[in-house]
Amino acid sequence: MDPDATTPPLPEPDALTRRFWEACRQGRLDLCACESCGHLFLPPGPCCPRCWAMRITTRTASGEGAVRTFAVYRRTYHPGLPQPYVVAVIELREGPRLVSNVVGCAPERVRIDMPVRARFENVGEFTLPRFEPAGPEKEPS
Amino acid sequence: MKRRAVIAGVGHTSFGKHPGRSAFELEAEAAALAARDAGLDPLEIDGLLTDPGFARGPMEGITPHFLRLGGLLGIDPLYTGTEILGGAGSAAIVGRAALAVEAGLCSTCLCVYGDSALSTPGAYAYGRGDDAAYGLFGAVGLHAMAAQRHMHLYGTRPEHLGEVAVAARACGARTPHAQKRRPISLQEYLESDPVVDPLRKLDCCLVSDGAAAVLVTTEERAAALRRPFARILSQAQAHRLRTFTSPEHFETLPAARCGPEALARAGVTADDVDVALLYDCFTIVVLLQLEDYGFCKKGEAGPFVEGGRIAPGGKLAVNPSGGLLAEGYGGGMLHVIEAVRQLRGEAGERQVPGAEIALVSGHGLGMNTHATLVLGR
Ligand SMILES: [Zn+2]
Repeated sequence: MDPDATTPPLPEPDALTRRFWEACRQGRLDLCACESCGHLFLPPGPCCPRCWAMRITTRTASGEGAVRTFAVYRRTYHPGLPQPYVVAVIELREGPRLVSNVVGCAPERVRIDMPVRARFENVGEFTLPRFEPAGPEKEPS
Repeated sequence: MKRRAVIAGVGHTSFGKHPGRSAFELEAEAAALAARDAGLDPLEIDGLLTDPGFARGPMEGITPHFLRLGGLLGIDPLYTGTEILGGAGSAAIVGRAALAVEAGLCSTCLCVYGDSALSTPGAYAYGRGDDAAYGLFGAVGLHAMAAQRHMHLYGTRPEHLGEVAVAARACGARTPHAQKRRPISLQEYLESDPVVDPLRKLDCCLVSDGAAAVLVTTEERAAALRRPFARILSQAQAHRLRTFTSPEHFETLPAARCGPEALARAGVTADDVDVALLYDCFTIVVLLQLEDYGFCKKGEAGPFVEGGRIAPGGKLAVNPSGGLLAEGYGGGMLHVIEAVRQLRGEAGERQVPGAEIALVSGHGLGMNTHATLVLGR
């Protein structure tokens, strides 16, 4: 087996996403903000997906959000990501959605609309924004 | 006089494992069977549209699928192309062939799907871009999230998904060429291995090697051939390129936009559909489409399928040949072919008596693409 096989797959930053991942490394979840209409969005893009203005700045999100939906993987697709794990679409308080994991509680306790907050975790040379329950579902660590 | 497009011939390989046979070889076999079925000389074919499946990717180096396949088949067409719409590709190329034939760009267009996904380990278990870092692999995770939300909003239960799986396998049992011919019970469904909760192994479609083809030509040309044909009454597409950032994602499919539109363009309603060939990569997709196409109200697909309503002998004929869950993974082209067979009245034991209107759907790329055809006699 490849000696790196137990390293999970990592993002491949490009010109559009590099700033997002750099902010994560510094413990910030940065949203794209349209200077023209104020729309906040993810994933990062070359223009505002609402008004097509090209002047885009960033705004740091609160890291608070809720689970819009989720799935519990019961099969291991990658040796670096053993099952079970929870993949979720998180809706941030500011509006944008992103795919992430819900961590810090048993998969059986995850619920749609459950409040969560960002928790930055280092994986290889990356820092991934994952989410843990903001309410009573959180397990003591 | 306006040229009207019809499907004059259909053909497919067996679906299952074809070790050592390339997808191109399977596609050539399907094409030859479709030409023979129509009674058309291959030299008459002046259009080629293709759906290359997943395992090969759409390009070999700088050679797109249609160029390689057309060369192998010896075709210099007036019109060609390859559609990359995932599971919506097959319905989309048949629709595009109809537009090309009706516009006079070509007269007889071969539409081909093929893949050797079963002989290509992990063909569908790919990581989804940067989200693979979170473990988002395959199409199953996204569909599990749609199922989870449907259960949360509407109280849909595992047994409802199970009704879809059980019905599909009962249909497969009546289909001589189906990849899975053994029926299953609801209990067997409930005990099947979890894959990505809330979806189980029996919620997931088959993986297959195989190819399927149809020939689209003018009604005038088809009338001179010896075989009955199916009319392409209407088509529509809708896509959700914003994926999960779209407000309605995980609640409806793009079918909610193009499905009712396609039916209206054909001058029919869901009540007029005699047989529905609904793309069924996962059981939840059938439930969502029953709602999106208007067979039942939003949120009511679970109770709608209770009691075998979409099983053989039920009130609504859905995927009589077993679909992707039992007949084989035909990329959506087997759905088109079953619609034609039902309209021709040649579906044998699974024939829907007097079928006159058939709905065909295609759905793909992680719930982001959708294509609809309405076919008639
Ligand atoms: Zn804007």
